[in-house]
Amino acid sequence: MGTNFASKLESRITLDRFLIFTLISYVAVAAIFVNMAILKLPALGLIATTIYFLINGVFLGNAFFAKENSLLRLMLGILLLVMLLGLIDWVVIIVASLNTLMLTLALVIASTASSVLKRMVGT
Amino acid sequence: MSCNHAKPVARALRLAELLYLLTLSMSFYFLLMSRTGEAHTIWEVLHPALLPTLFLATTILVVVSLSSEKSAYKMLFIIFHSVLIHSFLSVVFPAGDFSGQQMVLGRIRRLQDEALIHGWPPGSTGSFPSEIFARFGGVNFQGAITVALGQMLNVDILWIHLFLVPVLWGVFTPISVYMTTSMITSNDKVPILASLLISAFPYTTYFGAISVPNSLGFIFFFCSLCFMLRYLSSNGFKTMALLLLFSFFSLFSHYLTGIMSFSLALLAIAFKAYKSEKAESPRVKLSLIFPFIVSTSLLPLSLIYLRFVRPITQTAFTLDKFHELPLQEIVNLTLIGELAYGFDSGTIFLVLVGPALALLCMTYLIFHLKKKPQAKGRTQTHFLITAFLLILVDYRILKLFMEGLPFNEERLWVFRDFLAAPFVAIAIWAAMSRLWTRLGVTSPLTLKLLPRKKSTSTKSHGISGLLLVLNILIPTLLGVWITCSLTASYPKFSPLQTTWYELEAVKSIDETTDEKYVVIGDLWTIYAGERIVGINNPTAYYFAELDKTGLDLFSSMKQDPSPKWMLQAMNMTNTTIAYFILSEPRLGATEFNVAVSKAVQVGFRWRVMGEGKLYIFAYNMEQTPT
Repeated sequence: MGTNFASKLESRITLDRFLIFTLISYVAVAAIFVNMAILKLPALGLIATTIYFLINGVFLGNAFFAKENSLLRLMLGILLLVMLLGLIDWVVIIVASLNTLMLTLALVIASTASSVLKRMVGT
Repeated sequence: MSCNHAKPVARALRLAELLYLLTLSMSFYFLLMSRTGEAHTIWEVLHPALLPTLFLATTILVVVSLSSEKSAYKMLFIIFHSVLIHSFLSVVFPAGDFSGQQMVLGRIRRLQDEALIHGWPPGSTGSFPSEIFARFGGVNFQGAITVALGQMLNVDILWIHLFLVPVLWGVFTPISVYMTTSMITSNDKVPILASLLISAFPYTTYFGAISVPNSLGFIFFFCSLCFMLRYLSSNGFKTMALLLLFSFFSLFSHYLTGIMSFSLALLAIAFKAYKSEKAESPRVKLSLIFPFIVSTSLLPLSLIYLRFVRPITQTAFTLDKFHELPLQEIVNLTLIGELAYGFDSGTIFLVLVGPALALLCMTYLIFHLKKKPQAKGRTQTHFLITAFLLILVDYRILKLFMEGLPFNEERLWVFRDFLAAPFVAIAIWAAMSRLWTRLGVTSPLTLKLLPRKKSTSTKSHGISGLLLVLNILIPTLLGVWITCSLTASYPKFSPLQTTWYELEAVKSIDETTDEKYVVIGDLWTIYAGERIVGINNPTAYYFAELDKTGLDLFSSMKQDPSPKWMLQAMNMTNTTIAYFILSEPRLGATEFNVAVSKAVQVGFRWRVMGEGKLYIFAYNMEQTPT
């Protein structure tokens, strides 16, 4: 039953009909921004970050590792997301400064890139 | 009939999984209970029940790994196990392992402060190549991830730093081993066994437990290796792109792993060209030798040229060791490397047993595959064996023919161990398969299917013996091996780790001082400072670990506690308050008492922490000591 739910959730995220999960990912970024700027609650940060990594990890996993089993797909997708995010943040650190606004922008870029890559590279 | 037996088998499997989760949770709990603020090594403080519980969990995990359970579930269990065994240092010590890990944290804290305000790196770092290295090498990539995650989760970057590598390593190393092994075997249980057995290699476990850029680089190297193997059997753009992507990130994280990634990528390209040649003539085989030599020499040569971007590196080729060392020592160094120096036989055995077993298996496979030109993963197997050989040769070159290396040569053992794990799993599986073939069963949990009634009494005894071996002895032996490897993974001797009162002292200074301040202390105080405020922080200044000025000031203060040293430190760092920290366990009781009484007599303001084990002396610009 748990496997079915995870599998259904993954296929829905992958389909991303009407860009609904891309939008949810942006909402998670908004929550992270509000939390960083105002609320400063680790629990909220954890929830929003988990949603962000889950959605974009599934996007990237399906784009690049479609033939792997679901666990590997998700994990490798998350690794790619960490790499992408690290790279963007690194560039931001070098050319500007990684303040709340710039980090939020970096998250939006990473999320958009994941969604686009899933559509372009994914099968 | 099989349907009647399927339910009990499934039930036994669920029970084993539950038992595994229970023992693993208990192991986590015992590890948390072991947390301490004052110890030299984890072995002094580990809860006595931790290792037995962990051994039990590992043994059950071996049984589950060999069962017919879905690969994804088995992998999930292995990931939990892997995260646990790589978290020992981060959980037990309040600041993680001392030295490298804390130095990196000190720089990431600085990066965080500067990144939030001015961008990075602050100011010019020297020549153009050094500038490039400062921006693109070292701690920057790891720092960017750590700072970003710290802000996203709204937690102090200490926690992200401590657990970043243990978690990433715990998750992605078993996955990489699994994917690598899948490319050379068609059996679906061997890759699972390999991903579990990677925990039996002590050096690999240690590097997975410390958050340093090199460890992060190893993770990307492992991933790049998986895609090198895929590249050998595919022409897809995606595979090539992922190979390059992981290789570049490996280079961004650390030059050692990056150079090795590109060395092996070069070798993979040569293998692919070799594979495309239809005839396996000696001339075609010889065409692999040149790429092998180039790939092997890439690491030593690049270390020589590293000085252009990293001026403190002064690596050179040398024959000094052959002139200075006796022949026996040279032979020992060639065979077992640093293990030749004072390691106990148990540790030597645990470090070498995996690679030795892998070497035997590789030798067997070379001859075995000669007869089977169409065997699955033949080219990939040959590639892995060649890569293993390349690492062995490179290690000997670095160990015997080079000096002034920027790292310990034994770091190459992590590459070696990663390449060895699939072959160890193949060897163990081959041994088990023999027994299973004799019994006619498919896995330990299907042993009830045996047609015992048909057996004669003698045969029955033989089968019972084999059952014992399969069901109990093999999982127990593997459990013992993996658990014992932990004893060789984590150091048995070490200086006192950063203590709770050193951390409290640094915290207390930072919380109670509104002005810019400088702290004069020993190396251990500097490590503690790095954990809380970072290195060379202009508002809370701690001298860098290798900065002679800071260590000289400490030495002068220790011998002759005087305001002049404090003033000198303040002037040098543009601060208005200076602190001087003395710690009894670091100096020894006699020297500590003498230094403290001298400093008290001078009339500095002072505070005591750690039940008298640590003194903080303060002096500011306006103060006149009595």
